[in-house]
Amino acid sequence: MDYCIDTISEEEKEILQEIMNIAFGKAAADLAEVINIFVVLSVPHIEILNAQDLPEYLKSQVSSYDRVSIVEQNFWGDFKGSAFLVFQASAGKELISLFGEGSEDFGSESIDALEKETLMEVGNILIGACVGKLSELLGDAVTYSPPRVVTENSTNDAIPVNIFESGSSAIVLKTVFCFNERNVNGFLFLVTSNDSILWLKKSLATFMEQYE
Amino acid sequence: MIKKILLVDDSPISRRMMKSCIPKDRGYEVFEAGDGLAGFEAYKEILPDVTFMDLTMPVMDGSESTEKIREFNPEAVVIVCTADIQIKSITNALGRGALMVMKKPASKETVEDALLKAEEHIG
Repeated sequence: MDYCIDTISEEEKEILQEIMNIAFGKAAADLAEVINIFVVLSVPHIEILNAQDLPEYLKSQVSSYDRVSIVEQNFWGDFKGSAFLVFQASAGKELISLFGEGSEDFGSESIDALEKETLMEVGNILIGACVGKLSELLGDAVTYSPPRVVTENSTNDAIPVNIFESGSSAIVLKTVFCFNERNVNGFLFLVTSNDSILWLKKSLATFMEQYE
Repeated sequence: MIKKILLVDDSPISRRMMKSCIPKDRGYEVFEAGDGLAGFEAYKEILPDVTFMDLTMPVMDGSESTEKIREFNPEAVVIVCTADIQIKSITNALGRGALMVMKKPASKETVEDALLKAEEHIG
């Protein structure tokens, strides 16, 4: 067992869960403002894993999808890690019309490009607003890599194998959501390594001080 | 006059945060419930003057719980406190009988404002 696995207490997990709830709520509201969509939210979950178990965990979470599209974005600050927004591969087509573009006039190549752009835009808004709000609540500011869209025939190929160094631990913040009108659902995973744990523990304590 | 306050939220941390924002010097009795159904059951038993209600909860969500409380007592004061700040969610909560919607995280100021509004409403 990794020595860091127990370093986040149950109470700290609950605080993080509530902060993730607030952050994803803000992200959903931001997306709903840009496109005419209603995001059905669920209660977020926090998992602490060994880094080497992380790819298998992510695959198991999305195993009901035959093909997946993943928007991946890294973020850096005191809070640093990677965000994975995972949809069924068909989601891109479903979402294109929300951005005011019809798909009828495009050849297959253009549709692929449009799907990617659409997913990238949705990912950019959801990940940016969620990670941004989370960092803000914890007194941090982060910078982001440009989002990257990966569409693969199987989750095995889509999920990166070495997200963090083997031997370290990973904190996974997971939220499941559904775009009601489009019958599209997906997952947002924020994963951060034990590099951020000390900062995270301190920031969670500081956050709660105002509620003592 | 407000005497009893019910907090309905599945997150114990969120309930703790909310509780800490409620003024301590007014003798309010504060009760808690962990989901919408438990909140509705608690409401019927306690008959609080004000209920703070989360929206996204297991078992029964806050909108449905609000509606049930208001069916049970059309005068019930339910204030939704939620992270789901989409316009449609807010409109839905108000349409189902919430007096107002507060966004999370709650603060002493927003809770004070909400209690003032509740007092005015109760008259």
